[in-house]
Amino acid sequence: MSMNVEVLEDDKHHRYVLNMGPQHPSTHGVLRVLLELEGEYAMNLLPVLGYGHRCHEKIAEFKPAKSFMPNTARMDYLGALIYNHGFAQLLERACGIEVPERVEYIRVITSELNRIQSHLLWYGAYLLDLGAFTPIMYAFDDREHILDILEDVTGSRLTYCYFRVGGVSKDIDDKFVTSTRAFVKRLRGRFPMYEDLVNGNVILQNRLIDIGELTPQTCARYGVTGPLLRGTGVAYDIRRAEPYSIYSKFDFEIPTETKGDCMASFLVRFRELEQSLRIIEQALDSLPEGPIMAAKVPKKLKIPAGDYNSSVEAPRGELSYYLVSDGSDVPYRLKVRTPSYSNLSIVPEVCQGMLISDVVSAMGSLDLVIPEIDR
Amino acid sequence: MDINNVKKQWQTLATTVEAVDYAVSGHDYSLSLERDKVRDFAAFMLEEGFYLVDLMAVHVTPAIEVVYQFAHVETRCRVLARAFVDDNVEMPTISDIYQGANWHERETRDFHGVVFIDHPYLHPLILPEEDVELKPLLKAEAKLKDVEAIRRQPPEPAPEPKPKAKPEAKPEPPKSQEQS
Amino acid sequence: MVVAAVCGAVIVFGNALVMGYAERKLAGHIMLRPGPMEVGPHGLYQLVIDGLKLMGKQLVIPKNADKPLFMLAPLLAFAPVFVPLLVIPFSDKIQGFDLDVGLLLILAFASINVLAILIGGWSSNNKYSLFGAIRSVAQNVAYEIPMLLSLLAIIFMTNSFSLKEIAAAQSPVWFVIIQPLAFLIYIVAMVAETNRAPFDLPEAESELTAGFHTEYSGMSFSLFVLGEYANMFIVCSVATVFFLGGDSGIPLPYFEYSGIIWFLMKVYALMFFLVWIRWTYPRTRFDQLMNFCWKYLIPFSLVNLLITVVMVKLL
Repeated sequence: MSMNVEVLEDDKHHRYVLNMGPQHPSTHGVLRVLLELEGEYAMNLLPVLGYGHRCHEKIAEFKPAKSFMPNTARMDYLGALIYNHGFAQLLERACGIEVPERVEYIRVITSELNRIQSHLLWYGAYLLDLGAFTPIMYAFDDREHILDILEDVTGSRLTYCYFRVGGVSKDIDDKFVTSTRAFVKRLRGRFPMYEDLVNGNVILQNRLIDIGELTPQTCARYGVTGPLLRGTGVAYDIRRAEPYSIYSKFDFEIPTETKGDCMASFLVRFRELEQSLRIIEQALDSLPEGPIMAAKVPKKLKIPAGDYNSSVEAPRGELSYYLVSDGSDVPYRLKVRTPSYSNLSIVPEVCQGMLISDVVSAMGSLDLVIPEIDR
Repeated sequence: MDINNVKKQWQTLATTVEAVDYAVSGHDYSLSLERDKVRDFAAFMLEEGFYLVDLMAVHVTPAIEVVYQFAHVETRCRVLARAFVDDNVEMPTISDIYQGANWHERETRDFHGVVFIDHPYLHPLILPEEDVELKPLLKAEAKLKDVEAIRRQPPEPAPEPKPKAKPEAKPEPPKSQEQS
Repeated sequence: MVVAAVCGAVIVFGNALVMGYAERKLAGHIMLRPGPMEVGPHGLYQLVIDGLKLMGKQLVIPKNADKPLFMLAPLLAFAPVFVPLLVIPFSDKIQGFDLDVGLLLILAFASINVLAILIGGWSSNNKYSLFGAIRSVAQNVAYEIPMLLSLLAIIFMTNSFSLKEIAAAQSPVWFVIIQPLAFLIYIVAMVAETNRAPFDLPEAESELTAGFHTEYSGMSFSLFVLGEYANMFIVCSVATVFFLGGDSGIPLPYFEYSGIIWFLMKVYALMFFLVWIRWTYPRTRFDQLMNFCWKYLIPFSLVNLLITVVMVKLL
């Protein structure tokens, strides 16, 4: 699938190459896609990556593992707490550190708030791609409440570095609990408006239904996980399949759709908002008291030799950290398997022959965050 | 997916099959493969319904080790498979079986220089075109370790309880997290 | 004649000021934010300052652009709006020229806009601009047909192309009540003709960066925008004249020209509707847009025309 951009072959002289360059309103982040267009149909797509490569995996080989925590947040800035969670869990598993129960509850509540915040941003930005200028304002309005809540407890608005190996850095207080409960109530009240005005709109449905259909087999071949996979009917969520932290204690559903098109993943993500709210409510109801840091976490955290894996459910799919250690506190090799990497790789096959508007629609429904692809 | 059938098939395809403790390592099974069995193994995994989680390389002596990770959507089964590259730092591709491996293999070639035979488009993915020879994640001589150094050590045997009648014999110090 | 021309200019620029401000404020409030607030009380002078800013900007011409055509396109988008304003009856006493073929004049000059967009998109030497221009040509040419057909139904009923007579023929009952289908078709075609959302594919910001006016900056860009707002005014005035009774309304005492107040109220009500739907709906896909025109609007408007003709013959 090479694309010689200077000279197209003779029988394709009526095609031209359009560069959806690193700066484009719809590629969320620095993604470059070369489109070989025949009229308005994209016959060939070639994503060009690497514009945001910041050598995170190399950095991990030079720092003690504990110090890598801020880097995890920079990879996916929208799901930063979940990235923190995966990494903290990795080191806790490797070194056999047991975290107190209160820590688990705090982690789950803040991770789910982070998930809601990520989905709201995706919702607004996706509709902005499709030409609806207003829902992003409403979604960001709701999102501001989450950012305020999390700012009080973590200190940041976006790239959180709140979790530590063995616990969290600061305890939550009553203000957090009351404002989170108020937020849950507020967001629930906004859903009918979103459903009526946006989800039920005939123009939106025409733009999303039957575009970019995926099947479970395609997803398996590409390693696609997350809402895209759940849109094809496979109810695979790491929080249910490999329950980590205390997710096994909560009662929540895994929304699925059957068609696998853009509308399916759109509805799956929208319904996940409600499920995250349920988890938050249940966690707040049974929040225990206790310490926020494990008892004995050494300052120099030596990881026993071997390889370790930690998988969590990020807003975009399965996030896996794979650590190879030779016994010191500096990792020998760290690989971060990010969901958007696999999700984007379906584009050359699935978006072939689509109209350019549909390419925009399909790429928006993948919910990409480019920094986590380039790392 | 019947795990026993799958394990039987693994015994024929892989050199070693090892059940690992999920609570510590995050995987259920760890396999090591011969290089020429990699494609058959991948085809078998696709047939059984596993999806490709990751494909990456680790630079150790004697040769760069390519690590494949698979997982199953219906029952929890995380599988790790390793294979060593040959002397020309080459490896057969699985990108015609698992199309997701296309990009993973390009990235592995970027960072470690592993050439995947018969890959349809082995151009740099993350690094720029002119940095093909850079291979940033290859270890320097001083830091390069042997493959045994990165394998999980078996837990040290528990100290034998000394009889109380001999007070001068000290019991072994409890195992700390220090392991070399 | 001179008076008419000056009034035309006042209308165009005044309309742009009012509509620009109204659009930004309305967009803001629909989006739960206040819109411009800084410049002047509640942002009233925002458009004035914006106009001054745009006039002061450097006109950047891309290197390989076709320079004469590049400079021609905004002028071509802006100049033809003055002429239709001359034939619109603002009240029964205020009209530039009462032409027998007023409607034909308006439709003819509205079509020049397509040429301007095509020239602008082509001469920018930019694939995105070309994209926008080609889409716009197809869209505008296609949507002129239902626009004309729905207006033709009214023409058949009043037997005249003169706008003044059509406005006068609407007492006692407005044509919107007799011809609701034609009104709806005209409204949709009107939105598509002026390239407003949800049919704003030629300037689709998120797909094509900025479509045909990607490469235009400063005064050239503002000429396109002025032309767009004036076009909106013209099509809404035509809708008012044809369907909403023109200047008919309760005459105010002591004011001979009260018709113009009603006329402007109706026109701006329709413009408010245009702004409202822009900020509410997403964009249609291009082939869905064309399908909608050719497969739905045109057959319906033809059927409407047929029924009108039959009814006119019978009654």
